Amino acid sequence: MAQRTKERSGTLMKESWNMVVTYVTAALLVFVLTFHLLLHSPLAGKAFEDTLSFGYATGNLVYYQVIFGVLLFTAVIHGFNGLRVMAVEWLHPTRLAWLLNVLVIALMAFFIAVGTVTLIVVG
Amino acid sequence: MKRDQRFRAGLLSSLNPASYNVERWSYTIHRITGVIMVGYLMAHIFETFQLGGGSAAWANTMGALHSLGPLEMIGLWIVAGSALYHGGNGIRLVLNEAFGILMGKPILPVYPYSPTSLGRNQKIAVWAITAVVLALWVWAGVYLLAGLGVI
Repeated sequence: MAQRTKERSGTLMKESWNMVVTYVTAALLVFVLTFHLLLHSPLAGKAFEDTLSFGYATGNLVYYQVIFGVLLFTAVIHGFNGLRVMAVEWLHPTRLAWLLNVLVIALMAFFIAVGTVTLIVVG
Repeated sequence: MKRDQRFRAGLLSSLNPASYNVERWSYTIHRITGVIMVGYLMAHIFETFQLGGGSAAWANTMGALHSLGPLEMIGLWIVAGSALYHGGNGIRLVLNEAFGILMGKPILPVYPYSPTSLGRNQKIAVWAITAVVLALWVWAGVYLLAGLGVI
């Protein structure tokens, strides 16, 4: 009985923490993504084409490295976790749920690694 | 086998909000815009990775993107609209689901059933977000397309 209760609460906790991660990353994304978009908006004082120049892009990555780091992590975690939730709801994987989780975590790690290398090399 | 068919029907019907209420439309659009943004995110990370290769590599990347012509800016406009809607609706969802703000009080299920989650405040929030997002999306479109002489 105790074991069953433990299993149930464990499962619930996992989903609860999953939603906390979703909400926290969503809240952070609202700020950091807005900041990123503003850097390419008329408020930046440049034409859009000019905001795509090498100097402007690298300058932003160097100057706002921490903000872009937060953006990278939150966007990748929020985005791929969202895809995972959709896959779970649509496909209802039971025996292969672990494979889906491994695949999503591997994709997250890969894209975070690529983005982090960019931030380090450019910075 | 029967189970699989049932799930397949669920997949298709979940993408069809027709004849459902406005909350279902926002749910469907939220998911579609989310998928669009994850697709763009993956491409954008690879695109930004080219900055590490120096100005020549970046110029090649930009040249390849510019060769798409107006499609490049139209694509960015779609991504901008996706980000605006997903962000605006996402704020509503966080207030709703995480803090219970805008939600109606629970009532007994008496026929004809009406979802208390879709009360007056929720409807106002959904339509207000849609109006603001559309206004910002038009503004983004003018900025992206007119700035490059596309329109």
